[in-house]
Amino acid sequence: MAETITADRAAWQDLTESGDARQLRGKPDWTDLLFFVLLSVGAAYALVTYSESMDIYEKWILVGTIPSVVWLGWLWRPLRTMLVLSGLTALFAIWLYSGNLGNADQNFFLKYLLSSQSSILWMCMLFVLATVCYWIGFVSNTAAWLGTALSWGAVYAGTVGLLVRWREGHLMGPDLGHIPVSNLYEVFVLFAIITALFYLYYERRYDTRALGGFAMLVVTSVVVFLLWYSLTRDAYEIQPLVPALKSWWMKLHVPANFIGYGTFSLAAMVGFAYLVKENGETKSYKKLAPLFILGVLLAAEPMVFRSEGLSATWMLYFGIGAVLVGTILAFRSPIARKLPKLEVLDDIMYRAIAIGFAFFTVATILGALWAADAWGAYWQWDPKETWALIVWLNYAAWLHLRLMKGLRGTLAAYWALVGLLITGFAFLGVNMFLSGLHSYGAL
Amino acid sequence: MSQDSQLTARPPVARVSASSLFELIGSMRFAISLLVIICVASVIGTIIPQNRPENTYIDQFGPFWFEVLGKFSVWSIYNSIWFLVIMAFLVVSTSICLTRNTPKMIREMRTFREHVRGSSLRAFPHKVEFTTERDLVDSDVAIKAWLKQQGYAFKVRQEENGEMIAAKRGGANRFGYIAAHASIVMICIGGLLDSELPVRSQVWLLGKTPILDNMLIADVPASGRLAMDNPSFRANLFVPEGGTRDNAVVTVGEGALVQPLPFELKLNKFIVDYYSTGMPSRFASEVTVRDPETGETFDRTIEVNTPLRYKGVTVYQSSFDDGGSNIEMFAYPLSGSQPGPFEFSKRVGEEMRLPVGNTGREVRLEITGLRPINVEDLSDGVPESVSVIEHVAAVTGSAASKRDKNLQNLGPSVEYRVIDDSGQAQRFHNYMIPTLLDGDRVILAGVAMDNTDNYRYLRIPADESSSAMEFMNVRAALADPQTRKLAAKRFAENNVPAGMDGAALEISAQRALDTYAEGGLEGLSNFLETSVPPQELERAADVIVRLLGSSMTELREIARERSGMEPIDPALPQNVRWVQLAVAALSDLNFYPAPILFSMKSFDLVQASVFQVSRTPGMLTVYLGCLLLTLGVFAMFYVRDRRIWVWLKREPGQDRTQVLAAMTSQKRTLDFNREFERFEQAMSRLDMRKE
Repeated sequence: MAETITADRAAWQDLTESGDARQLRGKPDWTDLLFFVLLSVGAAYALVTYSESMDIYEKWILVGTIPSVVWLGWLWRPLRTMLVLSGLTALFAIWLYSGNLGNADQNFFLKYLLSSQSSILWMCMLFVLATVCYWIGFVSNTAAWLGTALSWGAVYAGTVGLLVRWREGHLMGPDLGHIPVSNLYEVFVLFAIITALFYLYYERRYDTRALGGFAMLVVTSVVVFLLWYSLTRDAYEIQPLVPALKSWWMKLHVPANFIGYGTFSLAAMVGFAYLVKENGETKSYKKLAPLFILGVLLAAEPMVFRSEGLSATWMLYFGIGAVLVGTILAFRSPIARKLPKLEVLDDIMYRAIAIGFAFFTVATILGALWAADAWGAYWQWDPKETWALIVWLNYAAWLHLRLMKGLRGTLAAYWALVGLLITGFAFLGVNMFLSGLHSYGAL
Repeated sequence: MSQDSQLTARPPVARVSASSLFELIGSMRFAISLLVIICVASVIGTIIPQNRPENTYIDQFGPFWFEVLGKFSVWSIYNSIWFLVIMAFLVVSTSICLTRNTPKMIREMRTFREHVRGSSLRAFPHKVEFTTERDLVDSDVAIKAWLKQQGYAFKVRQEENGEMIAAKRGGANRFGYIAAHASIVMICIGGLLDSELPVRSQVWLLGKTPILDNMLIADVPASGRLAMDNPSFRANLFVPEGGTRDNAVVTVGEGALVQPLPFELKLNKFIVDYYSTGMPSRFASEVTVRDPETGETFDRTIEVNTPLRYKGVTVYQSSFDDGGSNIEMFAYPLSGSQPGPFEFSKRVGEEMRLPVGNTGREVRLEITGLRPINVEDLSDGVPESVSVIEHVAAVTGSAASKRDKNLQNLGPSVEYRVIDDSGQAQRFHNYMIPTLLDGDRVILAGVAMDNTDNYRYLRIPADESSSAMEFMNVRAALADPQTRKLAAKRFAENNVPAGMDGAALEISAQRALDTYAEGGLEGLSNFLETSVPPQELERAADVIVRLLGSSMTELREIARERSGMEPIDPALPQNVRWVQLAVAALSDLNFYPAPILFSMKSFDLVQASVFQVSRTPGMLTVYLGCLLLTLGVFAMFYVRDRRIWVWLKREPGQDRTQVLAAMTSQKRTLDFNREFERFEQAMSRLDMRKE
């Protein structure tokens, strides 16, 4: 018999199957039906009203979205609540716009809360606050609870922001609007939302808030990048789509990809937590050094990609990153005590990478199918494609060794961290350094 | 445990034999090493741009490293022999692994393993053992009912004094492994069929020789042509509007092969639609396809993202070009007293030689492009420094652009190159109609800086007929000493104060004009610096600028008279401004890097579409592989395989039954622990007293 995880009861007793109040998911109930009806009515309205603006594939995607979203809502109730709330809020914002983009500067709600940019800024602020609260949460349970609440708030604000942005695009001009997953700015928001949602799911499922600080570090660095990007480059502006992107494939390819990126980052941060926990009582600097270096490297990754020298902002960012990693390591002992058991961390890491890998596979395949239509070849070794393959192979190897050779623990955790470096390069580095067909994601 | 070692190899035997080699190639270690090499090669391929002309690499790496790296085909890694060999090994390795393990897995999937010895269940880490008050039959019914409800399939082995129930669930998990690995083989083979390999092997094996020189398609010999039914190719097809083509071009290394198509493609119209921002929103080609066998024709629109699929060939919109538009050109000489223009007409892509005045020299003109529409942002987007709060305020609200963009369509423009006797080429970009810049109507004539795409523009003031003609007349007049003299004289007559002699004024004006004609504004300023004391420089400059302005106005009027244009009132602000602009532009002409300036009179736009045509026999295999891969990956991760054994034994002489049950899974995640706990509970709930 191969060795198994030490059967420690406490490790799984806290788990709820569903990641919410239900012990077991059970059969869909009347609320699911109501949700289904609600979505169907909305979709039917869209199909009737905007029939000409959608091609047959987009209609099918819309129809297919409904059961998927209902299913997701059944899988995890809090997601459903959040979707309903943000959907209603977005509808309210759209009603406030009443077809006039200028209202964004006139109407109080739009100007300060609900217009896409205001919402996204709120999201950024809430994510940063949530991160701070999660870290304070190591000494105060209230703060940790607040961290969860703020994260949900941020996810809500971000979703509203993206939904309203979608509408704003159409208000700018009849042919300008498109689903907001078309450039680096938009996908960054999507990335922050998806990463946070996956984290929140595991938080509830494994009943631990101690990972929040770790997971939210990635989200915060994305937020810092987002702010820098929109303040200095006016990246928030909605741009019309280049002809190659005008395709229904985008609606499938991009979100699938970002489920992959999001969960890979989450896995890496859980791996980081794993290593902190494992070295909780270590006095040897030799053991901590690689962790410190890797942590700082990750923090520095966006900066390394700056092509035009090192600006003061980025040096500051680098400094803060180094101080943060150093501080986490300095307080490793109390942090380690709060973190869940190693088996739990290991399990989350595996789950996150498994989901990510599955979706990344689908996303890459969808990308290939799309490329066949748009560029005339499903695979042509474009830098982005190649790096996607490298990321895929990396996690394929990780999963192989885990499933076949029972790879666990330290090595798996380090590998997951290095995986984030590779994923980060595939996501950002390729856009910055290497020219290619994916240049619309360029900085 | 055997079930944990699927798809892995036993340690290779030291003895080198066919079977141990077989073993090695089929091992996961080998496969992973190959994958690592593929990763590294891929990284190199993304860092070094692939398939560029050789010169680019020689410039970048120097001749020595070009030679060395070229040995490893670094310039086209993904099509290099060694890369393909590694891929082939990967396919072989995965196939071996599959053939070796699939039968085992299928057996594993189907077997219930009911022959496990009852007592061996005690060795399992997840087991329950107790005695129930129920008799054997009762227990059997209850347990089977629970297993059925939980979706387990089971098989029962009767024993002398009891039975063994072996149950399993989630066998599809193993199907996942098989599917995922088979899909890798399928994708690689399909991909290989669609790569450059088939065409290249025709070069190696069938003696096809790529054409290296420019040649008419009709002249290409049979060795340069691929077969009509060539199963796999990727070719380019250039079709001008109104043109019909039935041959595409496959590039092989530095050369090309002709690929005949099973149909004719006629381009009726190439369409570019634009957004209000001036960005192109749609590229589309309206084509007529004709099948030469049946003579059937049909119309179709090919767009980016909607290719045409016909007779096994797919036609994609890949790019567009000029299809040989005819341009009526004006040539203005920039020296001598002939104002021009000389008219001629040329097609885009054509070359011509032009004499430069009567110097006996020649320049070569090559028209490289015609752009019918140029939408540019004319606001000078210099961001002002603002405080952080204003920064934040600036990005709130809607995601529409906050900057005031001044997007304008500047109309058509022509791009050309002028090559002088020494072979130096310079690129130019000239607009056809005037642009309103800072309130002035000017014709923009661009010069590429250092042969990059950054252009600096000469601003030529436009005349009433929106052309550069008047400016060029003024230029010619300025170049003629007699006309300069006449202008100076008229200036003196018109400006001399009553009762004074105009001779001194005339001399000053003429000297100013001469100096200016010779060296432009820079010449004038040099002249001032050498002849005027520094303290009076400012005042003198002021005087001379006014003097020049007025003399140039006279010169302009003379030029207008000679070309039969209406007289103008020189005091009107727009005329003062015109002369100012002309003075600046004439001065800049001294730095113009060509002896002739060309501008468009009119054009007849003929566009061309560039299509990619391909036949991809492996595509279906690849897509099926992708489907299998997706199914496999999800099955692997989300189908939980579980096995349960329940060993029931009648207690000798009593109605009670001894129960020994164990549960196992390939992946013992935390979920499994939970599930086992539920299993335990279920067992105790079955009205069985736990010991």
